[in-house]
Amino acid sequence: MLTKLLKYDLKYMIKNMSVFYIFSIFFAITTRILFSVKQTVIIDIIGQISVGTMFSMLASVLINTLMRSWIRFRDSIYKDEAYLTHTLPVTKKDIYNSKFLQTLIFFIVGFVVIVLSLLIVYYTKDRWIALKTMINSITSGLNINAVLFVLSMIGIIFLEIFNAIQSGFFGIILGHKKNNNKIGYSVLFGFLEYMISQTMVLILMFIVGLFDGNIMELFKNNNILLNSNTLKLIIILTTILYLLIIYFMSVICKKELDKGVNIE
Amino acid sequence: MELLEIKGLTKVFDNKEILTNVNLKISRGKIIGLLGKNGVGKTTLIKLINDLLTPTKGEILINGNRPGIESKKVISYLPERTYLNKQMKVSEIIQYFKEFYENFDSEKAAKLLKDLNLDMNQKLSKMSKGMQEKVQLVLVMSRNADLYILDEPLGGVDPATRDYILDTILSNFNEKASLIISTHLISDIERILDEVIFIDKGKIVLQSEADKLRNKENASIDEIFRRKFKC
Repeated sequence: MLTKLLKYDLKYMIKNMSVFYIFSIFFAITTRILFSVKQTVIIDIIGQISVGTMFSMLASVLINTLMRSWIRFRDSIYKDEAYLTHTLPVTKKDIYNSKFLQTLIFFIVGFVVIVLSLLIVYYTKDRWIALKTMINSITSGLNINAVLFVLSMIGIIFLEIFNAIQSGFFGIILGHKKNNNKIGYSVLFGFLEYMISQTMVLILMFIVGLFDGNIMELFKNNNILLNSNTLKLIIILTTILYLLIIYFMSVICKKELDKGVNIE
Repeated sequence: MELLEIKGLTKVFDNKEILTNVNLKISRGKIIGLLGKNGVGKTTLIKLINDLLTPTKGEILINGNRPGIESKKVISYLPERTYLNKQMKVSEIIQYFKEFYENFDSEKAAKLLKDLNLDMNQKLSKMSKGMQEKVQLVLVMSRNADLYILDEPLGGVDPATRDYILDTILSNFNEKASLIISTHLISDIERILDEVIFIDKGKIVLQSEADKLRNKENASIDEIFRRKFKC
């Protein structure tokens, strides 16, 4: 049943998001063309407008993915559409997982669109070499594999985003247990959960720091030079901590949903 | 085993008791009218049976199961509001129901839609509220369910269509199934009722066979209702 739910959730999102993807790529191509032809004042102005529009589209891709995921979650589970969602022969766990996976998939798609758009506008062989050189100089100084470093940074950014998304889901679930001002409470609980999870990451890092002097230096000094082992440890720890928080929060969200809903 | 059994059901909202200690048994093969004035708890009771509300106290059993996956497989529910994704075409919604409900009969749905002059390729957003309600009714009646629950199914449709809907209900549910119909339009549905349940201030005040009640009171259900709930 999860696959069926996910199929319809993805269909809904693609209908709403495709316009942003198409416009992002379109303005990226337009910008590239305008930047590559002979520059006049008018072409320069159009080019600037085009690049500005492209960046606003890229921002829209991120903001819309986030907002629409939360709105979709609320509408399917607590608004009129809930009359259908909760009368389908599916578990609450499947409903939750479907929403979470839908968000995950669309963030990955959004990320690909953003990278693709930026490559279309800015890619040249020289810039690519310059970027590689810059990353190599950072990673070789730290004695870390460049590809692994980039991938782990992207991974941590994604985990951070998923933590924020899940905080929103958590807020919506708890907020809708209240009888009044459900939106207000949803925002409040979501924000609190996000702050608590961030604080937990810091506290757990501090606890690790009690056994590792290099990590503790992060809390003691503002200007520290990271060595490769410390950086690797931070990346691994952050990844594990985020995964744990995301996992436990999803368990709590599903349990809360399982306790039952009250649809107006 | 009863098709539906409710024991000591209470629902509290905002410190207010909407339903108080409701006990109810529904057997198979009956059409039951759930009758009461506005705001007395009819929709709350229906939503509790459909797992859209969580009971404060008490128990609901459908074929011996609490509301959940198994009960949702056998209950076909028509809410009193339009709830489908309006961006979808009727044909897409039919496909959706077919995928999720094993007992959904898409051929029956196509026939009913045709009878009601509804276009399969039309988007719900392009339909009037009345047309959307008809689509929802078709979806509900196209399932071979054990228990049909219709909350105000006649409210948004014209009188000419009401008769068709009632005939559709009568001819589309099997004798092993039961149907609970909640409405204010008692005179319209009276002819199809086997049983009536009167609900007032969150309590079941009467449950009786329709014919027995008519004979006892020497009046129609509509008249009995008006007498009993006179303001």
